[in-house]
Amino acid sequence: MSITSHDDVPTTVLDGAVKDYSRDKVYVLTAIFLAALTVIEVLTYAAPDFPVWSDKLLIPVLMILMAIKFFTIVYIFMHLKFDKPILTRIFYMGLVLAVLVYLAMLSTFRIWFDGHHN
Amino acid sequence: MAETLTSRPTLADADVHQANAHIEHDTNTGISNTKLGMWLFLASECLLFGGLITTYLLYKRPLEGPTPHEIFDIPFTSTSSFVLLMSSLTMVLAVSAIERGEHQRMRVWIGATAALGATFLAGQIYEFTVFVREGLGFTTSRFSSAFYTLTGFHGIHVTVGIIMLVSIVLLSLRGKVPEHKAETVEIVGLYWHFVDVVWVVIFAVVYLIPT
Repeated sequence: MSITSHDDVPTTVLDGAVKDYSRDKVYVLTAIFLAALTVIEVLTYAAPDFPVWSDKLLIPVLMILMAIKFFTIVYIFMHLKFDKPILTRIFYMGLVLAVLVYLAMLSTFRIWFDGHHN
Repeated sequence: MAETLTSRPTLADADVHQANAHIEHDTNTGISNTKLGMWLFLASECLLFGGLITTYLLYKRPLEGPTPHEIFDIPFTSTSSFVLLMSSLTMVLAVSAIERGEHQRMRVWIGATAALGATFLAGQIYEFTVFVREGLGFTTSRFSSAFYTLTGFHGIHVTVGIIMLVSIVLLSLRGKVPEHKAETVEIVGLYWHFVDVVWVVIFAVVYLIPT
């Protein structure tokens, strides 16, 4: 039986966690999830003394939240999870190249050490 | 006995949410050249924004002029970020609508996406105006140059996205976006989501991480 775009998301796609969710509901739930992560990000600014992200934990927490938001949008909204693998490889090629090149550049400028701005 | 000459699936036969489901195209990869080109473009954009973000990180401590956290209005920028995030939802709902052949609904969602994008852009222009009034011009410090270049480039991308969205609505009103050309909307959507993804990084790295 062919699955048309009018049908609900197959439960296999949703790992059997939920049944009969329409595609649009998945998108709305994803947006709510992203909004919740944004609220947590803003809370790191509004309540900087909260133990989870106080002091040296702040940057790792923000980086993790940012990464989760980034890949959720890329995989769900940009359909990378459901599209041909070559598109994932192409996108990662650019992303990984950018990260490596600019990590090298930041290292060249000794950004990881105090006093690099002087 | 009648036989069909082709068994290639159409939009109506495939669901993009089914694992590995996609429309086959007459190319080596099975992906349309336009879509492949857009993904290659987005991959190259990672390098562009990577360069701009790296420059900002190097220059974020100003030697003169106001510091980032003296002038940033985080509640205001958070609201702008939320608006842009929600525009990704309306965009994906537009793609979903055109795949079902619901043209009117697609136009409504695309219009909402453009409106949310314009709201974000207006917020950015307002923010820039406030910063300049507070003494942070483009040439005030190396921080200000890096900040305006990074966020300005992103703003230009949002503007281009809004122009594409408005064009899609106008084309649709003239009946030039039929279901079998739904991929056009999807490709514009890819660009729009990428603009959102870049802002996710900028919001965290530029606005939330303290100097």
